Amino acid sequence: MPLGIFLAIVLAVARVYGNRPVSLLATGIVGLFRGFPAIVTLLIIFFALPDLGIFFSPYWSAVIGFILVTGTYQSEYVRGAIQSIDVGQSLAAQALGMRKLEEVVHIILPQAIRGALPGISNEIIYLVLYSSLASYIGVEEIFAVARHFNSLQFRPIEIFLTAGLIYASMATACLAGFRMLERKLRIPGLEVAR
Amino acid sequence: MTDGDIVLKAEDLHKSYADNKVLNGVSFEIGRGEIKVICGPSGSGKSTLLRCLNLLTYPDKGCVWLEGEEITEQTRDVNKVRQKIGFVFQEFNLFNHLSAWRNVSIALEIVKKMSKDEARKLAMEELRRVNLEEDAHKYPAELSGGQKQRVAIARGLAMNPVIMFYDEPTSALDPHLIGEVLDVMKKLAQEKLTSLVVTHEIGFARSVADEMMFMGDGTILERGPPDELISNPKHEIVKQFFKRINELYRREGR
Repeated sequence: MPLGIFLAIVLAVARVYGNRPVSLLATGIVGLFRGFPAIVTLLIIFFALPDLGIFFSPYWSAVIGFILVTGTYQSEYVRGAIQSIDVGQSLAAQALGMRKLEEVVHIILPQAIRGALPGISNEIIYLVLYSSLASYIGVEEIFAVARHFNSLQFRPIEIFLTAGLIYASMATACLAGFRMLERKLRIPGLEVAR
Repeated sequence: MTDGDIVLKAEDLHKSYADNKVLNGVSFEIGRGEIKVICGPSGSGKSTLLRCLNLLTYPDKGCVWLEGEEITEQTRDVNKVRQKIGFVFQEFNLFNHLSAWRNVSIALEIVKKMSKDEARKLAMEELRRVNLEEDAHKYPAELSGGQKQRVAIARGLAMNPVIMFYDEPTSALDPHLIGEVLDVMKKLAQEKLTSLVVTHEIGFARSVADEMMFMGDGTILERGPPDELISNPKHEIVKQFFKRINELYRREGR
């Protein structure tokens, strides 16, 4: 999850501030993995890469696939947030003699990431739910276990409802975490009056 | 350039955006301790001039010297140049996610590589200079426009610049907040901090400026001591401009 967010930030910065080749590369990566259904990305990493001599265990294939999927989706939230920052922030940083990277790291991103958090939290829920797809490449996660039990006991209502509730509680926990983070990072004076 | 007492010198600056000629041959110089005011109608190239002088944008033609060194050479490290020029914007441009003192200290840490403690101490001193010590922990959104602009001035001062640029520093302020900013600027002027000020505050110009330059159509149409330029302009555009400003001042009783 943090790696996905990290990838998102790197991709977004590359697209906004990178020179032409860098930004084109980042745009290409984003376009590709946002275009692929998540399950296709997973299947490619697990089943197709070995043909090229690259092997990952089911677990690591899933991890890498989800990082790519969530990172490319989230990068668009970050990119949007970067572009919404007033150009004056950048001018002020430059006028003080900051280099571009210093400006991006210390001035632009701290503000942009705050703006992107609600979107990112949305994406994190998808990520929790997507994790069920990992069962298709043989990762023994909740959904895989549920299907296994169901094939033994054939009680779909109880078993899948329980699995669903487990996903829901994980998603809720993540959301609560993001709420707390948003509250912690809130900038005094910018709260909206209730 | 051998004269060590000239802080900034501009020669024949030209700048166009697409077909729009914004600067059309601007030349002037500022000696150490001098305060020069630039005024003129909007669109006359005042802001563009300031930005060409600290290389936020590059002039198409012409040269700028800062303390005798040509800074318009392409090989110069622009960040080194910009550090030496304090820049105060019309819209303050404080870093919204940082408290007042962090706004002042961040460039000291990142650009000047000071330790956190040193930077904090200096930031507090600079905030004291602009009478904002007590508000050091507030965030920009918690400050009034006048306070924001004073933080912005402190942020510029902290870098220990050889010259300060002010780009219409009071134009975005409510009338009752303009005074506190002008007071700080006057105090700094009396401390002989070399400054280039774009402003229409003719009261400020009269009381502290050594020279006033009137810009129109991308050039300096007329220049001279502020009293003389304001009360007895020669150029027709300048006459019209001050006539209107004077009417406004009388109405507001300033």
